[in-house]
Amino acid sequence: MKALITTNLMKFTLATLLLTLLFRFGLSTSITKHLIIAVVFSAVIYAILMWFNGRYFGWKEYEYLPIYDIGFRFHLATFLSHNLISILWFVFGLQSHYEDISVIFITAGIWFVFLFIHLIYYLSIRKSTIKDLDKKDLFE
Amino acid sequence: MTKDLLPELLSSWEDTYKKGQLTLWIFLALKDGQKYVDEIKEFIELKSNHTIHCEEQSLYRNLRKYQHIDVVAFENKKGNKGPDRKYYFLTPMGAQLLQIFIERNISLFFSTEILTLLKK
Repeated sequence: MKALITTNLMKFTLATLLLTLLFRFGLSTSITKHLIIAVVFSAVIYAILMWFNGRYFGWKEYEYLPIYDIGFRFHLATFLSHNLISILWFVFGLQSHYEDISVIFITAGIWFVFLFIHLIYYLSIRKSTIKDLDKKDLFE
Repeated sequence: MTKDLLPELLSSWEDTYKKGQLTLWIFLALKDGQKYVDEIKEFIELKSNHTIHCEEQSLYRNLRKYQHIDVVAFENKKGNKGPDRKYYFLTPMGAQLLQIFIERNISLFFSTEILTLLKK
């Protein structure tokens, strides 16, 4: 288990926490000021930066040690980071007056279904690994 | 026409043949004794008559995988001048894995019948 929490995963998680924080700030500010275009812009920029974040650290991770988890650890880290920041945003009262925390829970609930499917798939492919490395990619 | 094809065919066959050989060469290098990455690379290229070439990055990546599955380990030793070097060696399981692999896949080339065929 310890081997699955790697330096690259930690860096990815830190970057995700930071990006989510910026996203929430952009989103709440835009909603408060009724700037619809800025709401869309915040979401699109967040999605693009998260894609690069995953791509960069995912590639570094693969180059260092190709743990065969079909991206589940990074998905789980994103789920936890995003929802943690989102909930804390409301706990500290930083949200816009037009935002409702129920949206966070509904989003997390729907997302959890996909995360669970990903988990099932991940557990099924673990059978084709030796100590989390793909059997077919172990020896070159 | 046939002669023209020969180098291309040989190259194609050799490319396929060499795939999967790197592990064997790394293990043989380490069976020979503890080595750091440069020495492993040198051993492989020299002993394979320069038919196998490997990048340092590729060696590091493979060694990390072998270390992860407990067939290779390393210890830090002083380098000549610079910082400590990682000296890799086969663990008992790695040595056993290599031994069984050789018995099952390499030794058969040393049977009298096959040796005769190879020399024919």
